[in-house]
Amino acid sequence: MATATVAPVLGALENQPRSGPVTGWPSILRLQLRLDRIKSLVWIASVVALVVVSAISVSELYPDEASVQGYARLVSDNAAVVVQAGPGYGLQTDPSTGAVLMNELSLWTIVLVGLMSILLVTRHTRSEEETERAELLRSTPVGRHAAGLATMVNALLVNVVAAGAVILGTIASGFGAVGSIAFGLALCTSGLLFAAISLVAAQVAATGRAATGIGLAVLAVSFLLRAIGDVTGSFLTWLSPIGIGQGVRAFADERWWTPVLSLGLAAGVTWLAAVLAARRDFGAGMIPERAGRPAATRWMQGPFALALRLQRGALLGWFCGIVFFAAFYGALASEAEEMLADNPDLEQFFALSAGSSITDAFLASAVLILALLLAGYGISGVLRLSGEENNGRVEALLATPTTRTRWASSHLLVTAIGCVGVAAAGGLAVGIGAAVTTGDSSLVAEMLWALLAYVPAVGVLAGVAFVLWAWVPRLAILGWVGLVWSAVVGLLAQLLDLPDWVVSLSPLDHVPSLPAEGFEATGLVTMAAATVLLVAAGLVGFTRRDLGSS
Amino acid sequence: MSTSSAITVAGLHKSFGSTVALDGLDLEVRAGEVHGFLGPNGSGKSVTIRILLGLLRADSGQLEVLGGDPWSDAVELHRRIAYVPGEVNLWRNLSGGEVIDLLGRMRGGVDPVRRAELIERLDLDPSKKSRTYSKGNRQKVALVAALASPSDLLLLDEPTAGLDPLMEAEFQDLVTEAVGEGRTVLLSSHILAEVEKLCDRVTIIRKGRTVESGSLGELRHMTRTSVRVETERPVHGLQDAPGVYDFASRATESSFEVDGEQLGEVLGRIAEFGIVALTSQPPTLESLFLRHYGADGGGPPVQERPA
Repeated sequence: MATATVAPVLGALENQPRSGPVTGWPSILRLQLRLDRIKSLVWIASVVALVVVSAISVSELYPDEASVQGYARLVSDNAAVVVQAGPGYGLQTDPSTGAVLMNELSLWTIVLVGLMSILLVTRHTRSEEETERAELLRSTPVGRHAAGLATMVNALLVNVVAAGAVILGTIASGFGAVGSIAFGLALCTSGLLFAAISLVAAQVAATGRAATGIGLAVLAVSFLLRAIGDVTGSFLTWLSPIGIGQGVRAFADERWWTPVLSLGLAAGVTWLAAVLAARRDFGAGMIPERAGRPAATRWMQGPFALALRLQRGALLGWFCGIVFFAAFYGALASEAEEMLADNPDLEQFFALSAGSSITDAFLASAVLILALLLAGYGISGVLRLSGEENNGRVEALLATPTTRTRWASSHLLVTAIGCVGVAAAGGLAVGIGAAVTTGDSSLVAEMLWALLAYVPAVGVLAGVAFVLWAWVPRLAILGWVGLVWSAVVGLLAQLLDLPDWVVSLSPLDHVPSLPAEGFEATGLVTMAAATVLLVAAGLVGFTRRDLGSS
Repeated sequence: MSTSSAITVAGLHKSFGSTVALDGLDLEVRAGEVHGFLGPNGSGKSVTIRILLGLLRADSGQLEVLGGDPWSDAVELHRRIAYVPGEVNLWRNLSGGEVIDLLGRMRGGVDPVRRAELIERLDLDPSKKSRTYSKGNRQKVALVAALASPSDLLLLDEPTAGLDPLMEAEFQDLVTEAVGEGRTVLLSSHILAEVEKLCDRVTIIRKGRTVESGSLGELRHMTRTSVRVETERPVHGLQDAPGVYDFASRATESSFEVDGEQLGEVLGRIAEFGIVALTSQPPTLESLFLRHYGADGGGPPVQERPA
C-alpha cells in the first residue's frame, strides 16, 4: 500500500525538468524589474542627464583649441582639481574638448553608477532576505543562487542601458564615437564591478543596512585610493575600481584593456560571492548572532536613549568613514604645493589672487566634499524616523504616554549631536593631516571651523527631509534631492554654467569656503534660523497627520 | 456619555483616500468587562483600535475613551492604556528584555516582580535579540510589556494569533486576572473558543459597520440549535414547519436545525412520534459568526444557512 502511493510521487519528481542552483532565476529577474521599473529609470535618466548636460556645456565653454589649452594649463598639476577629477588624461599631451569633458565628468559619473549598482544589489539580496516575503519566494522551486544571479543580471541590464544611452548622448552632443564608446564601456564595467563587490558584502553582513554600509565604504575607499594615486602618481590608482575605470583614457589614446580588466574582476568577485553564499544559511550573515541583555541598562529610559541606541551603529560608521576620508585629504595638502611647482602658469595664477594659496583652495574643496558626506549622514539620520514609522515599530512607542513631538525630537537631537560631533572630528582630522604634512599647525583650528561652518547648511538639508516626511510621509525619500542638488552645484556649477539663482538654491553654497575665502557670519545665522523654522514646521505637520503602519 | 463605559464610539467614519475603512461604526465597552471585537479580515478592527489610540484621526463620529478624547488627550490616556498590536514589530538589535523595560519605563515604570513572573509564565527568553524571535515570541514580548505595568484599559489586537495552546491558556488566565483586578479589556480575536471563554459581551463588525452587539447569551438566542433525534416512528410533516431548517431523515433518525424561538413547539411535535434518543447542540459561536461574516451578513438573522 505504502509503495503504491509513494511510487507515483517519485516518478513525478523524476519526470520534472532538471533543477540546479539557479533554477527559477528568470522569474525572479522579472519580479525585480517590475519592482524597480521606476527606480531604475530614474537612476538611468539621472546618469544620462548629467552626462548630456555636461557634454553640451563643455562644448560651448571650450569650443576651440585655445580655450582647451587654457583649461589644461589651469588644471594640470593642480591637486585641488586632480583630487576631484582625476589625472587629466590627455590634457597635457593632446588637449581636446573630449579630454576636458572626461576630466570634469568621468569620476563623478563612475561614482554615480557605482552608487546605483551598490544600492540595487543590496536592495534585492540582503535587505530582501530580511523580509518574510523572501522566504515565501524561496519556498517555490528556485535555486540557492537564483536570487543572486537574477540580481547580477538586473545590474548588468541597468548598467548596459545606462552606458548605451550615455554613448548615444555624447555622440549626439558632437563628441567622437570612439571616445564615447570607451567612456560607456568604462561606466558599464565599473558599475558591474561595484555590483559584484556589493554581492560579496551581502553575504558577509547580517543586515541590509550593514551590507549597504560595506558597499559605500568600498566606494569611498576606491575614491580615496585613486585620489592619492593620481596626486602622487603612484600605483594606488590601480587598486581602485574607479581608477581602473578612468584608466580607459577616453578621448585620449584609449586603453581598451581597462574595461576588460574591470569585467574580469567583476566576474571573479561574483564567483567569490557565490562561494560564500553556498556556505551560509538563508537570512543569516557570516557573523553569528550574539545573545542580548536579558534586561535594559539603567540609561535606557525613553525615546532619546532608544534613538541613540538605534542610530549608534550608523553614527559610528559615518564617523569613522568621514574621519578616515578627512585625514587622508589633509595629508595630501602638501602634495598640492609640490605639484604646483611643476606648473608655472598655475603658480602665477595663485600668486595673483591675493589671500589665497593652492593649499587653501585644495583644503576648501576637501571640506566641501566632507560637508556633502556630512549632509548624507544628516539626511539619513532624520529619515530614520520614516523607517521606524514604515516598519510599524513606532506604534508601540506612541501607545505609551510619549508625545509625537518628543519621539520625533529625540531622533532629530541624536542626528544634530551626531552632525556636530562628526563635523568637529572630520575638521580636526583634515587639519591634523594637513598640519603634519605641511608643518603649519594653525591649519588644525582653521579646518575645524571650516567644517563646523557647514553644520547649519546641513541642518537645512536635513530639515527639508524632515518637513517632507512630517507632512507627506510618502515623499520623505525626496529629502535626498536636496543633497543631490547641492552636490551638482558644489562640484559641477562652473562646468554646467548654472545661473546664479539656481546655484543659490543649494544651502551649502551660502557657506564661506574656509580657508580659501574669508569668514562671513550672515549666511550661517540665516541658515541656522531656517533649520529651526523647518523643524518647527515639521513638528506641527507630524502632530496633525495619521500615523502610517506596516 | 455614561461614566460606566470605558469606550464609547458612535457613528465613527474613517476613509483613506477613496477607500472607506469605517462607515458609521458603533462600539460600547463597559468598564470592567472583557469585550470581544470580531469581524472578518479587513473589516476595520485594527483601524478602530488605532483610532482609539490616537494613532489615526477619525473623520467624524463620537468617540470617548476613559472619559477623554483619544486624539487630543492621547498622552494622558496612554498612561492608563496598554496595547498589544496585531503585527508585533520590534527593534531588531534590541533583546526582548530591553524592549519590555523600555516600553514599561515609558509607560511609567516596570514592576520587576511582575515582569519576572510574566516572563516565567509565558516562558519567554528575554535575552534573545528581537530579530531571532518567532512570531509567537514577539507577541509574548508585547504581552509582557503590556501587562507588566499598571493600566486601566487593555487594547489587544489579535494577541494570541501566534501562541501555542499552552500559552493561549496562560494568556486566558492572565486576562481573567486582569479583569479581576478591575481592568477593562477590548479583545479583537478570531479564536472563537477564546472569545467564548473570556468575553462578557461582543461586537461584530463588517465592512466598517457594527452588525451585532450584545452578550453572548443574547446573540445565541437569535440563532439556531441543531437537533438529532431517534424516534419510534419516522418523523414527517416537519420539513415545512416554521423555524426548521435542513431537515433530513433516514428511517427513524432525523436531524435538523431550529430557531431558538420555535424550539419548544418543534420538540412538542416530535414527542408525538415517540422519542427514543435526542441530542441537541446549542448554537455555536462559529455558526453565529459565519452568518455575520458571510456575504449577506447583517441581514435578518435566520434567512439563510451559511456554507
